[in-house]
Amino acid sequence: MMRRLKDWFRRNELDRSIEEEMASHVEMRAELNRNAGMDPDSAQRAARLRFGNPVSARERTRSVHLGEWFESIAQDVHYAVRQYRRDPLFTVTAVMTVMLGVGASSAVFSVVDRILFRDLPYPNGERLVSVGFSAPIEPAEFLLGADYVEWKRAKLPFDQFTSWRGTVDCDLTEASPQRLSCGEVEWNFVPALGIRPLIGRSFTAEEDLPGGPGAVMLTYAFWHARFHADPRVVGRGVSIDGVNSNIVGVLPKEFEMPTLNRVDVLVPQRLNPAGQRRPNTGAVLRGFARLRPGITPEMAQQQMQPLFAESLKFVPPAFRKEVKLVVHPLRARRTQEVRNASVMLFGAVLAVLLIACLNVANLLLARAASRRPEMAARAALGASRARLLRQNLTESLVLGMAGGMAGLGLAALLLRSLPGIAPEGLLHLANASLDWRVFAFALTCSIIAGVVSGLVPALEKPPTLAAAGRNRTAMRAPRFQHALISTQIALSLALLTGATLLLESLRNLEQQPLGFSRDHLALVHITLNRQRYAAAQQRLAFWESLEQTVATIPGVQSLAVSDSAPPAGRARSMIYSVIDVEGRPPIADGTGGMVVWRSVTPGYFTTLGTRIVQGRPFEAADRQPGSDVLIMDEQLAHRMFPQGDAVGKRVRPGRSGPWRTVVGVVSANSNAGLTGKSDPEYYLARPRNQDAGLFESYVLVRSATGSESLSRSIRSAVALRDAEQPVEIESMDQRIANLADRPRFNAVLLTGFACAGLLLAAVGLYGVTGFLVSQRQREICIRMAVGASRSRMLLMVLERTWRWTAVGLLAGLAAAWWMNHALVSLLFGVKPGDPVVYLGASLAVLLLATLAALLPSVRAARSDPARTLRQE
Amino acid sequence: MPKTASDSPQGALDLLILKALSRGANHGFGISLLIEETSDGLIHLEEGSLYPALHRMERDGWLSGDWQQTPNGRRARFYALTSAGRKRLVEIEERWKNYSKGVSRVLRYV
Repeated sequence: MMRRLKDWFRRNELDRSIEEEMASHVEMRAELNRNAGMDPDSAQRAARLRFGNPVSARERTRSVHLGEWFESIAQDVHYAVRQYRRDPLFTVTAVMTVMLGVGASSAVFSVVDRILFRDLPYPNGERLVSVGFSAPIEPAEFLLGADYVEWKRAKLPFDQFTSWRGTVDCDLTEASPQRLSCGEVEWNFVPALGIRPLIGRSFTAEEDLPGGPGAVMLTYAFWHARFHADPRVVGRGVSIDGVNSNIVGVLPKEFEMPTLNRVDVLVPQRLNPAGQRRPNTGAVLRGFARLRPGITPEMAQQQMQPLFAESLKFVPPAFRKEVKLVVHPLRARRTQEVRNASVMLFGAVLAVLLIACLNVANLLLARAASRRPEMAARAALGASRARLLRQNLTESLVLGMAGGMAGLGLAALLLRSLPGIAPEGLLHLANASLDWRVFAFALTCSIIAGVVSGLVPALEKPPTLAAAGRNRTAMRAPRFQHALISTQIALSLALLTGATLLLESLRNLEQQPLGFSRDHLALVHITLNRQRYAAAQQRLAFWESLEQTVATIPGVQSLAVSDSAPPAGRARSMIYSVIDVEGRPPIADGTGGMVVWRSVTPGYFTTLGTRIVQGRPFEAADRQPGSDVLIMDEQLAHRMFPQGDAVGKRVRPGRSGPWRTVVGVVSANSNAGLTGKSDPEYYLARPRNQDAGLFESYVLVRSATGSESLSRSIRSAVALRDAEQPVEIESMDQRIANLADRPRFNAVLLTGFACAGLLLAAVGLYGVTGFLVSQRQREICIRMAVGASRSRMLLMVLERTWRWTAVGLLAGLAAAWWMNHALVSLLFGVKPGDPVVYLGASLAVLLLATLAALLPSVRAARSDPARTLRQE
Repeated sequence: MPKTASDSPQGALDLLILKALSRGANHGFGISLLIEETSDGLIHLEEGSLYPALHRMERDGWLSGDWQQTPNGRRARFYALTSAGRKRLVEIEERWKNYSKGVSRVLRYV
């Protein structure tokens, strides 16, 4: 075997040697002939004649060395390529079909691989879990410092248990300052994940103590961007937020945060131990643990119940019922939001691949029919059925491989263009690339495509020579083709309904009423530098002067400063049950869910276009220190004062501080993104005192036109005050569009797949109808010659395609029904069983199918019977 | 009518080649010439078909082949019997004799 392989690779050398040997033979014979008195030309000719067919001799000699198997495969491939060259239209169609299928699925695979299949980028990642409470305030698992400290002391089903606080904006305060994202982690965070620093070391316990030596670890990307991957950087000091810290290590390239947050550097979280002791709650942490071998997340959860019960005692009674202990596999924690979408997209693209395979199978079937005489001849000459099968499979595999290779090119192209329309973050698109796993996937797809599409025609029994030679009308249209067409129709219909539902959802999302008018509304987001605005007074002065300057910009109709902005993003909130109402006993049972609140300047409601339902908006006087007014939205007012008498009542949010008088009720704005159910909301007037010295605020600006020049004016207004202050400006439209990024991505992709599927199915139907018509041309002509009308002939052909289409549509409706109910979590404002969608999609498919079938049928019906029959 | 080797029963070509080479190393053309002359022109090999057989027998270790100079100064691949080839020759020569004896008896009586 090995020698044959070696011979295989030494092929050229061997060929030359064989050729030379034979040439020398012919030369010697020619010389002999010349010596016998022949003229040189005839001598040469006679010598060649004696030698026989040199090609065959060479081939047979070579095959002695290469082994029959290799040689005949090579022959088959050679033969297949030659056949394909002779029929470029067929070849291009088939290769492009496979390319479309393999390309699209490989691109999608490279995206979903990390979400669905690939091991987590941590050693033994399947043992990593996210541990914490889940509560209405924060559905994603969290831990409180006090509990975490207690738990760490106890016996746990974990090998390692670590935590981090999340990311904060931090500033690299040295030459060319830079805003960074700092991950605040416990000292054992990196080792607990099983990650070894690329260079240097992880944090020490000492560095994690308050007042410990400053330390920082760099991510690979940041190390490259900022320090040009200089390994000597370890041990050097950097200044972060004005504090000198030592670079202790660099994280490896594959490192990612378990929750996929973007970070530039890691710093120790430095919890103050005194603060993490009951009855204090301590910091809010995210806990991650490595399960002991053999422990499942469920077992761990079970074992931690006593600890959890203990912690629960410190939870206010109001919360207890709603707090749960969660031990969640890390993969599930990371992918919960995108898992459904990934499964959907991957399923859809596999359906496209299947349609493509069926299409190629169909093309090959039609081709096989025209090659029957050839196959019959081969069978008659002694080729076994297995040999013919192999020939068939080799041919379709050649197609599959060619298509697969082109498909990889397409995948690379798609991956380069996808990030343009893809949402940030969880989809991992930035990381998606063509690595060996994608290559392996594409190869598998190509082989499957080749085998599937080749096996179907190969299953047909080779006809006898006599049958193949008989008149062509005697031939039946292959039975398989109908089934293939129906399957394609069914798959396309399912894809089309899914795409329609997603598009419908997207439209609903983007157009749903948010409670405020979104045109010409700009959002200016500013976060002040913690060093340069260290004093609250400085910050207050900044916001005050900014408000005044922006108000003078031409075109600005109204503006407001708020600590947060709808319809999504971070807003302050508290639980409903801690809002006391004067004259009522405090609510003791349950939390009542969350209530959002904002601190806004009087222009807020005018600027957003929020209606004042009762009472009055804020006035300038309300901003004076000591003012104690509050405005509720309708949702909160309805709940708290169902009689509709909210105005004039007094409430006390947070059970402390002054009682506040409700002066107005306003219409509700969305505050939970586009899909979430909005929480009730109340507003306080942004006080003109030290409390308003927030680092971060939004300026909402309503203008007449919302033009580019407005953004420029705002930027220069900020720059006038502080030239180094970064400003983010986006329009409300953009913000809303960004919120719909992920649904849009899903909808666009699925629509693309549905279109590809439909197109392929239509091409398939076109091809098969054309084939059918050409097979029955004679029959059609005879019928027409004896008086059948053209339209009758047309109907005869169409009737068939309609029958296949109808079968496909029925199967497709069932598949679509099933698929769309699995999609339900991705839908918004539309039911998975919406009959209009199914009806519309069915009609569209039927129309397309009819068109595809009509073209070849019309051609047949138009043909001149006399001429066609004569040709036969 | 001259017979070509491919018309003859299985193994005849192998036998002819081995026998021809038992008189000393030779190249493909030399072998075909030798067979032609010693059979008094009764056997005309299809010369091209010699080579697959030569290469097969070389692969199987009955022959060894290498490039040499002919007396006329031409490069040619010379084949020589190996000891395995010699053994093989005895074996198939025996078999052939039996076979052809059998064939002539059948021809005589039927």
